[in-house]
Amino acid sequence: MTFPALAPTSRDFSPGDWPTKRFNSQSGAEVRILYGSQRTNAKISLSYDNITDANAQLFLEDYDAQLGTLRTFTLPSAAFSGWSGTNSKLDAPPGTKWRYEDEPSIKAVRPGRSSVTVKLVAVI
Amino acid sequence: MAKVFTGKDGALLIDGATQLKVTNWSLTGSVEMLETTSLGNAQRTYAPGVQEFNGSATLLYYSDDAERNDAANALRKVLKVDGVSDADTVTLNLRLVQGNTNHDVSFTAYITSVSFGAGVGEITSAQISFQTTGALTGVTL
Repeated sequence: MTFPALAPTSRDFSPGDWPTKRFNSQSGAEVRILYGSQRTNAKISLSYDNITDANAQLFLEDYDAQLGTLRTFTLPSAAFSGWSGTNSKLDAPPGTKWRYEDEPSIKAVRPGRSSVTVKLVAVI
Repeated sequence: MAKVFTGKDGALLIDGATQLKVTNWSLTGSVEMLETTSLGNAQRTYAPGVQEFNGSATLLYYSDDAERNDAANALRKVLKVDGVSDADTVTLNLRLVQGNTNHDVSFTAYITSVSFGAGVGEITSAQISFQTTGALTGVTL
C-alpha cells in the first residue's frame, strides 16, 4: 500500500529545523550548539475536499498499512501538484521520511463525498 | 401544436384540490455544488450536492358560494395557536395545462411563511411561501 496518488485541495508545509540548543550567559551572550546534521521535524498537512468516498477510503487503508503512526513512507508526486518549484524542497528533508503525525480526519460532506485531512511529520 | 403557456394555463393544487383564485405561483430549484478543484488545476471543478426547492404563490382571499376559502386554509398552516408540527406538510402540484395533458411538478412541502392584509380599494390576497421536504414526487414537464 502506498500513499494515495491524489492532488490535494490545499497543502500546508513547514520545513522544520536543525537540532540546536541555545545557552545564555548572565552577560546576555548567546551560544548556539548544533546537535545534528539534518533538518528534522518538517511537517506537511494535506487537505482533500469533496473527494469520493472510495478515494477517502484509500487514506484509511494506507493508515492501516502504515500501522498508524508507526511506519515511515514517501509521498507520491501528486501530493506536490501545483508546486512549480522542485518537489524535493517541499518533501521530507534528505535522510528522513514521512509518518502520520495524527489520525487522518474524514468529514462526510454528502452521500458519496467526503473531505480528508492528513497531517504528516518527517522523521529519521 | 405550438403553444405558448400563459397564466391562463396555470393551476395550483394543494392536497389534490385545485385552488380557487390563484393569481400566481413560482418554483425555484437549485443544486448545491461541491468544489473539487485541486492544486494544479487551472479551472474550478465541481460535483453536484444536495438539491433544494422552494417557491411562493398568491391566492385571493376568496370565499365561494359554499364558503370554501382556499387562501384561509393555506394561511392556517402557519397561523396556528398550537404551533406547527411535523404533520403540517402539504402536497403541492404546480400545474400547466395543455389540452388534456397536465405538466406537473409535485412534491411535499411545508408552508414557511404567509402574509395577507386589507387595504382601501384593494382586493385582499394571501401570499404563501413554501419549502419542499424530500425529493420531488413527480415531474411531468
